Amino acid sequence: MTDHHPDPRLADETMLEKIRRQVDAVAHDAPHLAKIALEAMVRKHNPDLKGTASSAGRVGKQSGNVSELTAIAPLKAGGAERLRRIFDLTNGNMDGAQRVSTLHDMRFVFFDDDTRILFATTYDGDWDSYINDFATKIPELMDLLFANIEGWPGIDSPAVKDFIAGHQIDAAGWFVANPQVTVVDTRRFQRMDKALAIFLDQMAANPPQHEATRQALDTLSQALAQPEGVDY
Amino acid sequence: MTFLTDLKARFAREHVTLALDDIQALILRSRPEPYVGVHAMLHVDEAEGGRALLLRMAEHVPSAAGWTDDRDAWMGVAISFQGLKALGVPESSLASFPLPFQQGMAGRAEQLRDVGGNASEHWDEAFQPGTCHVALTIYARDEAALKVALDQAMGELERSSGVTLVGQHAFGADADAKNPFGFRDSISQPFVAGSGVEPLAGQERSIAAGEFILGENSETGKPVAMPEPPELGRNGSFVVLRKYESKVGAFNDYIRSQAGDEAAEELLGAKMVGRWRSGAPLTLAPERDDPALGADPARNNGFDFSKDPRGLMCPHAAHMRRLNPRDSQLTIMTDVNIHRIIRRSSTFGPKWNRSLSAKDDKGERGIFFIFISARAYDTIEFFQQEWINRGNFIDLAEERDPVVGLQEPPGTFTMPQVPVRKRVDGVGTFNQLRGGEYLFMPSLGALRWIGGAGWR
Repeated sequence: MTDHHPDPRLADETMLEKIRRQVDAVAHDAPHLAKIALEAMVRKHNPDLKGTASSAGRVGKQSGNVSELTAIAPLKAGGAERLRRIFDLTNGNMDGAQRVSTLHDMRFVFFDDDTRILFATTYDGDWDSYINDFATKIPELMDLLFANIEGWPGIDSPAVKDFIAGHQIDAAGWFVANPQVTVVDTRRFQRMDKALAIFLDQMAANPPQHEATRQALDTLSQALAQPEGVDY
Repeated sequence: MTFLTDLKARFAREHVTLALDDIQALILRSRPEPYVGVHAMLHVDEAEGGRALLLRMAEHVPSAAGWTDDRDAWMGVAISFQGLKALGVPESSLASFPLPFQQGMAGRAEQLRDVGGNASEHWDEAFQPGTCHVALTIYARDEAALKVALDQAMGELERSSGVTLVGQHAFGADADAKNPFGFRDSISQPFVAGSGVEPLAGQERSIAAGEFILGENSETGKPVAMPEPPELGRNGSFVVLRKYESKVGAFNDYIRSQAGDEAAEELLGAKMVGRWRSGAPLTLAPERDDPALGADPARNNGFDFSKDPRGLMCPHAAHMRRLNPRDSQLTIMTDVNIHRIIRRSSTFGPKWNRSLSAKDDKGERGIFFIFISARAYDTIEFFQQEWINRGNFIDLAEERDPVVGLQEPPGTFTMPQVPVRKRVDGVGTFNQLRGGEYLFMPSLGALRWIGGAGWR
């Protein structure tokens, strides 16, 4: 859990006030419109500010249940080419990474004439929670992806956490649409959506006679039936 | 037959591959039943005096050679990072310890989720950061044997200089081995490969020795991080010690408030724990307690969750299933074999009684949650983040462990049922953290290496 405040609404209020002060300071010389736009951005973000200030353990930022990891590292000679071949072969679809189920995404970018790599990922929880598990469950995939990085000690090396932390850079700014929702949650929501549709079909074909059940069903339908705009 | 006599009968010397005569007995040797004992916390004010004491204490620490034999009492010694520093261990060795161990338990509050009521500002004096340097633990089969061993240890302490006793805590339980909440505990113990005792059919497979003994190969096929030099690290292990005050009255009140009669109370309690009071697991005794099963070490841990994928018998969120999911399908890719622990918890305070209520609970009951693992510091942080204070790994979002979780309202606990699951709210924080530390449990050779300033 990442909520370190007894009442998140209180924490939000103070954070909002703090941000307001900063907006005032930044916008001192700026046109009035820009100030309004900035304030609106802050206000709309309020419900999702929960946890945005915390860190993801050692390095990286955390927003709610979701964390970011950005790392820049030098590549071994020919490393970019080897990695490109892997990405082409797998079409970016990496089995193993799928099974991890804490990874929202991974991004590999080569730059400086293929001599360096930028690796960025969004994942659930703290950055090193499952590293030990990867080392025994998918060591080949981890080593395949990272062995092209200069100095990679191997996923089963005791030094691997220090190695990753040493290349990590905290994001200065980072936005998460659904900071409270994990990859596992998303999969459950998808399953629930299908199961619920089947259930509602059955209820529509055969409406319950019992009054309490009818009412419960009506409450459920009210929560589902009206389109709602996505509010950040 | 108790756990220890059961192991004694099954020990086979030809299966031993570990350097048992260099490993502290406490690592492999379970608590006796019944058990009594003492934890003592020492502070080293002066390196030379501390080392001299350690050298003499080492003479009273039995090795794991013959770890299944009968014994009246045994002592274990473990040292915190600040303790190693105070004993004058050189910087090159200190720097070779894993970062969490160096930072100490209070310094890892964020990773351990030790916030709010569990934050270190509420901890006992003996566990304030930098205070507990050396922890001694004595287990004994009875008070008389404990007195002999304790007098011996305290005699050594009196003869020493530059070392202060900062805390001492007696503990014990009768032959039922019940924890403060009235449940038999420390039942599930991993089999350590190469220790000389092999699992029986139906029991969990043995775990690579390197998960518990430094320098041996772990489940990755390689040793885990080991402090340098080998004289210091090899055959040692790490210990997590967390002292909890158990809110037994509040726990009793809670299950009373959710249940109509005593049988329903017992069922809800068992669902929260995963076992009945006797220790009988829900998967083998889903309807009611089976004291004969609970007391039988050959059967009380001989199960998996293959017949209970939905959690109808043992809820996924039950304490026992969370902390050892065995073959359960988890939502996240997990290697359950690298999160196994050797349990050495010790219960203190008066025996559990059903009528105790929060209003007359004097806060005198509790448990030292102690476990041993070569990656204990990683394991406890993983437990606290993923398996205790979250439900993501079992598709239960934010739901927390109903027994040891740091709860926040609404405090939900989910019990799968046919045709629809049952949920209860209002689960409280029934175990409040009162202190703790990351400790290193050196080999006998390493105790002498530190005591004799072997780096010189």
